[in-house]
Parts: sequence; C-alpha cells; structure tokens
Amino acid sequence: MSALRVDGVTVRFGALVALDAVSFTVEPGTVHAVIGPNGAGKSTCLNVLSGVYRPHAGSVYLGDRELTRLRPHHIARLGIARTFQNIELSGTQTVEDNLLLGRHHLMRAGLVATALGLPSVSREERRHRARVREITDFLGLSAAIDRPAALLPYGLRKRLEVARALALEPRVLLLDEPVAGMDTAETAEMAAAILAVRAELDVTVLLVEHDMGLVTRIADRVTVLDFGRRIFDGSPEAMTSDPDVVAAYLGGAPPSDSPRAVSPSALLGGAPEGEK
Amino acid sequence: MSDRLRRVPVVAGWVAAVALLAVAPLYVDAFWLQAGLVTIAAAVGAVGLTLLVGAAGQLSFAHAFFLAVGAYGYAYLSGRSSSGTTVGLGVPPVLGAVGAVAVAGALGLAFSPVASRLRGIYLGVASLSLVFVGQHLLQNLTSVTGGFNGRPTPAFTVAGFDFTGTEPELTIAGVPFGAVERLWYLSLLALAGACLLARNLLRGRAGRAWRMIRDSEVAAAVMGVDVRRGKASAFVLSSMFAGAAGVLSALALDRVVPDYFGLLLSIEFLAMIVIGGLGSVAGAVTGAVFVTALPLVLARYSGVLPLVADAGSGGVDASVLARFCYGAAVVLVILVQPDGLAGLGRRIRSRLRRTTPPPPQSGPDACPAGVLQETP
Amino acid sequence: MSNLVELLISGLSLGSIYALIAMGFVVVFKATEVVNFAHGSILMLGAYVIAATYSRIGFPAAVVAGLAAAATAGLLIDRLLVRRLRRRTHTALAIVTIGVDIVLAAELARRVGTDVLNMGDPWGDDTWRVAGFTFPVARLAAIAVALVLIAAFGALVRYTDWGVAMRAAAEDAETASLMGIRLSRVSLVAWMTAGVLAAVAGLFLATFPSPGLSATANTTALRAFPAVVVGGMDSLGGAVVGGLVIGLAEALTAGYSDHLLFLGHGLGDVAPYAVMIAVLLWRPTGLFGTKELSRV
Repeated sequence: MSALRVDGVTVRFGALVALDAVSFTVEPGTVHAVIGPNGAGKSTCLNVLSGVYRPHAGSVYLGDRELTRLRPHHIARLGIARTFQNIELSGTQTVEDNLLLGRHHLMRAGLVATALGLPSVSREERRHRARVREITDFLGLSAAIDRPAALLPYGLRKRLEVARALALEPRVLLLDEPVAGMDTAETAEMAAAILAVRAELDVTVLLVEHDMGLVTRIADRVTVLDFGRRIFDGSPEAMTSDPDVVAAYLGGAPPSDSPRAVSPSALLGGAPEGEK
Repeated sequence: MSDRLRRVPVVAGWVAAVALLAVAPLYVDAFWLQAGLVTIAAAVGAVGLTLLVGAAGQLSFAHAFFLAVGAYGYAYLSGRSSSGTTVGLGVPPVLGAVGAVAVAGALGLAFSPVASRLRGIYLGVASLSLVFVGQHLLQNLTSVTGGFNGRPTPAFTVAGFDFTGTEPELTIAGVPFGAVERLWYLSLLALAGACLLARNLLRGRAGRAWRMIRDSEVAAAVMGVDVRRGKASAFVLSSMFAGAAGVLSALALDRVVPDYFGLLLSIEFLAMIVIGGLGSVAGAVTGAVFVTALPLVLARYSGVLPLVADAGSGGVDASVLARFCYGAAVVLVILVQPDGLAGLGRRIRSRLRRTTPPPPQSGPDACPAGVLQETP
Repeated sequence: MSNLVELLISGLSLGSIYALIAMGFVVVFKATEVVNFAHGSILMLGAYVIAATYSRIGFPAAVVAGLAAAATAGLLIDRLLVRRLRRRTHTALAIVTIGVDIVLAAELARRVGTDVLNMGDPWGDDTWRVAGFTFPVARLAAIAVALVLIAAFGALVRYTDWGVAMRAAAEDAETASLMGIRLSRVSLVAWMTAGVLAAVAGLFLATFPSPGLSATANTTALRAFPAVVVGGMDSLGGAVVGGLVIGLAEALTAGYSDHLLFLGHGLGDVAPYAVMIAVLLWRPTGLFGTKELSRV
C-alpha cells in the first residue's frame, strides 16, 4: 500500500486562487477527510487528484509515482477512483452496465473481438458480471441491478456512484460529498458502507464533506481548507478545539464579499449547501 | 422459463421477417426490389451513424462523405481504366469492396484527431467541412471519380457468379434472377452482418464506454475510459459502416455520381436515426426504411394520391412531400418521443406484456434515448 | 495590383456578410444554447420574400417584409420548439433545428425551382470606378450596411438591458433566472434579431456579382458556419473576425484560382471549410471561444 501525497498544489482560475500551495498526505488504510466552508477548494482538490484539473504548481504522488501530468484515465488505471458531488452516472444505462463501465480498464475485449462476439469476450463479460454482482450485494443495490440508473431514487444513485468507483478495484477511493442531500438514516447507511469498504476491501478513503457529524464519526484524520489554504491537518478530536478551524467556521469576520455561507446548522450535520 | 416464453413472439417475428425478405424476389416486382436495395444500403449506413451519434453522442454531418469514399473507393479499386478518362485498378470485386471499407476507415482515422478533440457540438459544425471538401474532390479528381458525370460501378463477381448481371443464368420458381434479385440477397446478407456487429459493439465494453462519454466525458475519463480514443473509435467504425453502405449504394445505383453524396444525404441519415430512435440498431433500420422508401412510395402512387404533384411541375411533388414528412417527423420525435420508433415499439411491447404476467421491473419504460434526454 | 485591392474589397464585403450571419448564429447559441442549423434556411426565407414581393410593393417595403418574415420564423422556432425543450441536450436542440431546416429548405427550394430570382435592389450591376479600381456598388453597400448593423448590434449587446440579460444568461442561465432575468424574453429577442441579421445577409448574398437567389442559397449561407467556428462559437467579436477571415479566404482563393488550378476548380467554395479545419486543429474551441471548464 502506498500513500497519496499532495505536495504544494496551487490552482488558479483567473485571479481566483482556488488552492494555495496545499500539502497533505493520505496514509494507506485510513479514512481521511478534507473539509472546509463553501469555496474553500475542496472539490478543486479532488479534481486535481483525479486529473480533471491540472495544477499550476505542485505535485501529487501515489507512492513514488507522480500523477500530476497524467490524464484522468491513466490515474484511474493506477488505482484512484472517485465519485461526484452532482452524480455523473450514465442515466440511460442499467445499474449493471454502469458498474461494468467501472471495470472498463480491467477488461481486455477489443473492438474487433467485441464486434464479432468471440467466445473470449462473452467469457470475460460473464466473469466481470459476477464480480459486479458481488459489489451490488455488498452495497445493497442488487434489487435494482437491471434498472436504468436515472430511475433510481437519489440515495441509491449516490450509492451507485460509490459502487461504480469500487468496481474499478481502486487502492484509493475519493468521495465528493457522499452524503450531500441525504437524510439521517441514509447518512448513517452511507457511513457504515464507507467503513465497510475500508475494513473489508482494504481501500484508502479520501472524503470531501460538509457534514461535520459524519467526519468526526468516521475520519481518522482531517485536513481543513479555508480560501484555498490549509489551516489544519490532524485528528478529528484536535480539530474541534483548534482555534483557526473554529474561527473559520463559526466566528471571525470573514473577509468582505466572501462566498462563505455556512450556517451553524450545516456544520452540525444539517443540509449542506452545494458548491460549484 | 417465463423469460424464455416471453421471447417466443419476438423470435417468431424475426423468423417471419427473414422468411418474407427471403422470398420477396419471387413475388415482388423489380421496382420495389430496386427501392429495397437503396433502402438496405441506407440502413447499413444508418446503423453505423447511430453508433457515433446515438451511442457516443457525437453529432456528425460527415456521413455522406464516407459513403462517397466507399462508393468511389470500390469503383476505383475494382473498376477498369477507360479510354484515358478514369483510372481503375482492376482488383477482384470482393477485395475492392473490403478495400473501400478500409479506405473509409482510414480517412475516418485521419480526421479523428479533429473529431476526438472537439467537444460535442463543435464536431457537428466541423464535420460539415468534410461534405464540402469531399464534393470538391469528387468534382476535381476526375481520373479517380470521373468528375461531374461520375463513373460506372464495376460488376460484382464472385467465383464466376455475377451479382450485378445475368451470368450464369439462373431461374428460381419461374422467376429469372437478374441483377436486382441477386443483389437483394447480397445486400440483405450485408445488412444482417452490419446489424449483428453493431449490436455486439453496443452491448459490449465499447458501447458502454461510448454511452458514458455521451452522458459525461469527465465521468468517463475518471472511470478509466480514454475519451479521445473512445470518440475516435466510434468515428472510425461509423465511417467504415458508411463505406460499406457506399459500396452497396454504388451497386444498387449502377453508377456513382457526386451529386448523390451531398449535404442532403447526411441530413437524411441524421433524420433516419433520430426517427428510428438514437442508439438503437433496429431503430436505425426502421428509420432508413421510412426516410428512403417514403419518396419512392409517394412517387409511385403520385397519380392516386390527392396532394402529390408531378415531379418538376413546381408543385409539391413526391420528393418534397417526403421531405416535409420526415422533417416534421424529426421535430415530432424530439418533442414527444425522444427514443423514436424503437422506443415506441418497446413501449407497446411492454404494454402488451402487462396484460399477461407483469414484468419484473415496470419502470416508466426501458431506456430513453440518452442523447436527447433532459440534462441533469 | 489593382486585382488584389479589388479582391480585398470583395473579400471584406463577403466577410461582413458572413459576419452578420455568424453573429446571429452566435447570439442564439449564447442566449439559448441552440446550435441553429436552420439558420441558412431562415436567411433564404428572408431573401425569398424580398425577391417575391419587390415588384408589387417596391424594394424598401419588400426588404421590410423580408426582415419581418425571417424574424417571424425565428420567433416561431423559439416559441413553438426551443421553449418546450429547455433542459434538453445540445444535440436534441440542434436536431430539432435540422428538422425545421429540412422542411423549410424543401419548400423554399421548390418555390425558387430552377430559376434565379432577381432581388430588385437599386444597385443592380452598377460599378464604381475610383483611381483605376472598379468596385461593384452592391458590394460597397454590403460593407456599409454590415458595418452599421455590426455596430448597432454591438451597442445592443453592450448597453441595453436585453444585452446585459443575454450575457448573464450565457454565463449561467440558472443563476440569471434566479436574479429575475426573464430568459424567455432574452431568447425571443435573440432569435428575432438573428432572423433580421440573416435576412439582410441573404439580400446581399443574392445581389451582384451573384446572379440572384437560387435554390441552393441556404447552402451558400452555410459557409458562415466556418466563420462561427473559427471565431469561437460563443464569441460575438469572434464571429465578426471569423466572418472577415472566411470572406477574405474565399475571395482570394477564388480570385487567384487560375494560379491554384492544381487544387481544382471552384476552390473558393471550399476555402472556408479548409480554413476551419486548420484553425480547429490548432485551437479546438476557435480563436476566441472560451474553453469549456468542466464543472463537477
């Protein structure tokens, strides 16, 4: 197992500095949370890790391997899978096909073999369908396996995103607000699922979240971002008493016209707000 | 078991359709067989385009260009040089046809760096260029294309059996088998092959990747799909289907001329796959039948139909009326039935089934055509 | 030398006509995210109405009628189709306009038939000689009218409430709508303006040195699409620059076609498309188009 290391990453959008020389390390086998108010750069951070954005400075390493210049599909093949805050499933395809898509890089069938319907292709399909079954059983999606993803209720679609990421057989799982918009019961189920993933599948989890309750319950380590800067990195217990974190969230006059709009209730596990 | 029972009517339908098509030359007159040949060629092309536009979500007007490449490629490879005007290589016809498809694929590959770098709708506009550049080449590369007047389609002969003539003579059930009857079977075989290949692709690894690219390029990429390569593969395969359709059109039409391969043909192909239901093989074939056969049917019965004027009279003749119909059909499909005739068929089937045992999941109908669905 | 100057003027004139077409296309795209493949047919509709009515009602009134017809076509497409299809994908919207184009183009081509219709314009084939150069008056008129319209349209976008609303909607339609911007009005004005600009362009495309309005006028108008792509699909300034680039490229390749015979006859017709492919290979979103940042 190798650590995921973020080293001095800076991302700018025009004049806006979304990430400002941010560094942290996700130790293998942990659940690591990245939190922060709206506009703190959390989603940008995930986009850099998964190769969707290219940072202006800094590097990302998985073990010794530098990921910074790789295109997203290479990063995925190296074992980093992710989910999206705003659910990016293939809505017309069934749950099963969405999960098989996650196994795209594990499958070998070429265009010619597929077109001709060679026996090796159907054997491969069967093998991967069996594994997909296991994943849907694991996450409680088996009843919906033949349904188009768009027709699933919201909570199941969120869970399908996690399942699809797991279908890649990743070493590191990046979760972008996995419980956003969920009620208490759904949140609890998702938390249990995340812990099970870590424990049973031996996957490192990096979690971007608004929901402080969830973070303090399941995270081993927390990195707090504020306006693109890292203001804290340590254990969840230490975080709650850290003066910078408290100031960023609760008090302290935020700089003028800040987009920060986190209400105390959001902090305590209420409805989180969307972030662009 | 019940699943297998439910499939019986479907299988029976297919068997009946194949049987009907197989005996058609014995009962149907040459006009309809000829119309059928053009329609089958179009269907092969439409199946290819639905891979690109329906599955991978890349709007393209370039299809007519690749049909032209197939048609002229075959005429060039297998044709003979004629008195200093056009050049031909005289390659055996089967090799010539395969070669033409390969050339279409190669040109598709050559354009794919443009195709795969462009996002969504940019490809639609950029692909217009291939049609017009293609027209320019067809008019000007006279030694290959014959220029404005085109060039004749070389005979398609396999082991002494001429599919485009009467050698050796053949009479079945009292019907003399000429070019049209022979080509009918050849074309049907090609269509069946095209449908099978496309179906396998759509159901397999490639099809899943294309649909994911269509629904979200970013998600496809972070799931390990090489997006550029996926788009390029859809583009190349679709050009190869178009190439095959071009060869079949050349055989059906007896002569290849530049005018046939203009922008209108590309637009007709888009109309076919939209009306049939994007991303569906059966839909593409149905749409091809609708768009290609409609003007022929209307022209045939223009004397009987009240509104149809004679061609060239300046009134609404058969071809204009046909365009009104499929233009309106395209708009209607998008407005009320985004998954086209194929979706309509699915809906009716599931309605029928519901009267017998209820299906395991009766969601609001199977799969809406993804390209046209609402954005999240 | 005189040849070059005349070609440049002719290219600028053609380019400014393309710019009018391209601006209409871009404004519709910005306001409603519709790639309007029916734009060429709307242009032809405007030109056809002018050609069909000038002998009865006189040229000025015919122009007004032509502009009104094209604007009405835009209005109908917006009200009957685009409005009902908000939230659909770009592809779905583009395909609807293809459907409209099929019907409109078929009907217009039928009406024009094999004729070439005179536009009844006052310039005819007059030319203007100055310092040894010869310029067709119709071409100069095209430049003058196009310049005025480009400036007026620029002012409309920059200074009016509608312009501000349109630009806000282009940035983020959802937020703009929450801020109280009436998207339906933005969309309506965009479609009607695009129709008017297209009809003016249609008029000049069919005047001297062109022989008149033929059944394939909508295809000629498609040459403005490369202008749109070269400039960048969401950039109005880009549309003007792209139009001029394409117009000049077409006029120069046509003008020097004798020297370019190794590339075949009729090169001017394909030059716009060749330029477009070259630009796209270099910059996939055109010269001034914004790089689409994926928001996930």
